[in-house]
Amino acid sequence: MLEKRVKATCSDGGVTSLIRNVDKLLRKTKGKKNDQALENKIQDSKPKDPLYKSFSQNIEALRSIYHNCSDVTFRPFLLFGKTRAIIIYNEGLSDIEGIEKYVLSPLMQESENEFPSINEFLEAKMPVSKVERVKIFADCIESISLGKPVLFYEGESDGFSFGLVKWEMRSIEEPVAEGGIRGSREGFIESLKVNTSLIRRIIKSPALKLQSMKIGKYTKTNVVIAYIDGLVDPTLLEEMTNRLKRIDIDGVLESEYIEEMIEDNPYSPFPQILTTERPDVACSHLLEGRAVILVEGTPFTLIAPVSFFSLIQSQEDYFQRFLIGTFIRWLRYLFLIISLLLPSLYVAVLTFHQEMVPTALLLSIAASRETVPFPAIVEALLMEITFEALREAGIRLPKQVGSAVSIVGALVIGQASVQAGLVSAPMVIVVAITGIASFMVPHYITGIAIRMMRFPMIILAGSLGLLGIMMGIIAIVIHLSSLRSFGVPYLAPLAPLQGREVNDVLWRAPWWMMQTRPHFTGQYNQKRQSPNQSPGPEKGGSME
Amino acid sequence: MKRILCLLSVVSLVFLSGCWDRVEINDLAIVTAAAIDLTDDNQIEVALQIFIPKSSSSGGGQGGGGSSGGGPVTLLHSHKGRNFADAVSKIQSQIPRRIFWGQCKVFIFGERLAKKGIQRKVDVLIRHPQIRERSYLFVTEENPKLELESQPPLERYSAESIRELSALRIGMNVTPLDLDEMLTGEAKGGALPIIKGQSLEGKQDKSIMFPNITGTAIFKGDKMIGKLSGKKTRGLLWLRNEMESYSVTVKLKGVSGDISLNPVSEKIKMVPKIENGKWKMYVKINTEGAVIENGTNLLLSNPQTIRMVESAFQETVKRRIHLALDDIQHKMKVDIIGVGKEFHRKYPKQWKKVENRWEQVYPDVQVTVDVEGHIRRQGYITKPGGMPEEEVRKE
Repeated sequence: MLEKRVKATCSDGGVTSLIRNVDKLLRKTKGKKNDQALENKIQDSKPKDPLYKSFSQNIEALRSIYHNCSDVTFRPFLLFGKTRAIIIYNEGLSDIEGIEKYVLSPLMQESENEFPSINEFLEAKMPVSKVERVKIFADCIESISLGKPVLFYEGESDGFSFGLVKWEMRSIEEPVAEGGIRGSREGFIESLKVNTSLIRRIIKSPALKLQSMKIGKYTKTNVVIAYIDGLVDPTLLEEMTNRLKRIDIDGVLESEYIEEMIEDNPYSPFPQILTTERPDVACSHLLEGRAVILVEGTPFTLIAPVSFFSLIQSQEDYFQRFLIGTFIRWLRYLFLIISLLLPSLYVAVLTFHQEMVPTALLLSIAASRETVPFPAIVEALLMEITFEALREAGIRLPKQVGSAVSIVGALVIGQASVQAGLVSAPMVIVVAITGIASFMVPHYITGIAIRMMRFPMIILAGSLGLLGIMMGIIAIVIHLSSLRSFGVPYLAPLAPLQGREVNDVLWRAPWWMMQTRPHFTGQYNQKRQSPNQSPGPEKGGSME
Repeated sequence: MKRILCLLSVVSLVFLSGCWDRVEINDLAIVTAAAIDLTDDNQIEVALQIFIPKSSSSGGGQGGGGSSGGGPVTLLHSHKGRNFADAVSKIQSQIPRRIFWGQCKVFIFGERLAKKGIQRKVDVLIRHPQIRERSYLFVTEENPKLELESQPPLERYSAESIRELSALRIGMNVTPLDLDEMLTGEAKGGALPIIKGQSLEGKQDKSIMFPNITGTAIFKGDKMIGKLSGKKTRGLLWLRNEMESYSVTVKLKGVSGDISLNPVSEKIKMVPKIENGKWKMYVKINTEGAVIENGTNLLLSNPQTIRMVESAFQETVKRRIHLALDDIQHKMKVDIIGVGKEFHRKYPKQWKKVENRWEQVYPDVQVTVDVEGHIRRQGYITKPGGMPEEEVRKE
């Protein structure tokens, strides 16, 4: 016991001292002493360092903060021809034309005489929508980072930030990863403001709340929790806020960073949070009482809590006639099982249970396998891995060479290897069907999770036959039923069985039948719509 | 570390215990049919028909595209031994692949063996874990090897041809399980279909033959004691409620030409009765047929005519059943239609008394066959096709 502890502290000490040394080395090369102070100013700006009283002191401090930041421009000029002033802005983020037209030209040309003070002039006569006083360094830095130009002038300790922000962004496009036949073609983009506006455009009620917070020591990424007041369970909201507040990382480049930090079971291959880049999907979940996390810089938003079944449902299930939606849903369940089990079933039957195949089929399989030098399990693993590699290569490749992958995949793998007798034709068929089946899952990550499960299943099938497959299935089901997404059982509403909500799993009930919202945890707003809305001739045409 | 070791040992427990019985399909000699016969020196000869995957392999791709017509699909290998298992193990020692019984659906016994007793062979068929209990058993008068050697022109190999034939239910269908039940049940006797290879018309080539179900072999105990001809087999099938897709041709009195019917369905009810110590069995058969050919000048839309044809139909069926019943009940005295079973069910106490001497009681059971035949469909036309109006008898 004691020995262990000593060892642990020793190793700990070793690591920290190593880090310290590296740190020192870095600092020496930089040759800067006020580094530490500067860092403090940037990072711990929330404890609020007020701006200095004097103009020149402020400018000096800011210049040292923005040392070597070539994109931040300091533009000194004379206010009304006599007062020293400086405007600080970020070249890429600020509306330079606007600064010239609405800030610099009036301030340089007008004379002071008509106004009692410069302050008043700034607040009353500047043709800019937003003028804010900046009193502390942190706000100043934030304004500049956001692209708001900040003005300082002699004799005033506060700075003034103007809402002249303009930066390049992608236009709203059709979501690439979540296409559809029917429904909105809008997708989220990288700009958080646009994303929130997309949601607000759908849900106009002020009950839609958008709580903002910042995550990331350096990126200061804006993160917004969206929810509908009255529909969402307040305890869920509290839990979500707490989990988000716990995050302390350098930066958030994608919502996955956040997803991994707030998941219930981080070791599971199955995602416990739904990601989407469609505003309509986000809104449909908001309306069911879920919370949506929007992250600056990525079109992918997070939705929680979700169950396994929402991960394998597509928005289009609800945008089509309910019978078609139901059919497609069942087709998806079937192919979900195929994508998980078909290769392993093939391997198990061919190596252990040859008597289970109809004779004619077995004979043709035997004939086509005759020249194959590998055992079935090796053949299956080989082909599956090749397929996964092809798929992955296809995503990363530049579009110009994309066709090369399909040629190589289809011709070399599919035909040549069968002709050469290295792989049997039935195996190619199995892999192809499995591949198609796995793309039936609309949520890409879930599809990959299921595809990943396939490999242990093949190995189990190759070593234990159908028994192994059964063991694998049992293990997966146990794992799935032990998962939770923000406290909601992963397999709900099937396990635990929730009578009314099974409507949305076993079939896609028509809209006039979906009268209740799903129940997650705690209190919820049950009624979604008024009952008896089924249309029919007896309803008459009168509008009462 | 301990946790990892623990996990590793658990995982290896699973995987080490696996694999022991895994066999690649490339290492299997897939048996499609087996023939069992007795040799002159009183040994068992077993012949296996084994699928040759190479012959129909498309693994070579389009290169060998035209090869489907060439080369035999199966090979026949036989060996003698003291018993079935001995002979099979001797075959195994000469074949580089492991013999796989899982797809073997046809077993053919030679008549010589059948006459000597098949009980020991049935034991193997039921006991062996790989052999399907739902394979089909046959008896042949010739050397059973010959049946398997023939190359049927329609199917890929003869076993498939035999299996398809028995799926048509022209003769009896007996699996090892059925046979076991028959031999151990009340009847203490059984029946197996007889097959015989028939050469194609005009060809003397022995290698191209149609296997044909020609009748039924009747077993008393495990020994074959007689045969039923094809016609009598049909009567037996009527009694066993196994009649399917067979046409009955009816000849009417005073009418030239005949009418063919295709029995659509058959229902049979056996009612045992003991009256004044006399054992009686009422067999009620309810059958419906459709006219498929009318060679007479009768107008079938007339209800009276239909009734006439129906009564002729009933007579024909009845005659056939009696033909079979005569042989089974009085000549061979084997209860393969399950009379004993019915009595056992309804009169368990009386059955107990005669159980041991059922063989003597059975031939004296009075069997009354009552056939109710109906014609439900006349086909697309009612009047005889291609016959001038004046010649049609309307009545």
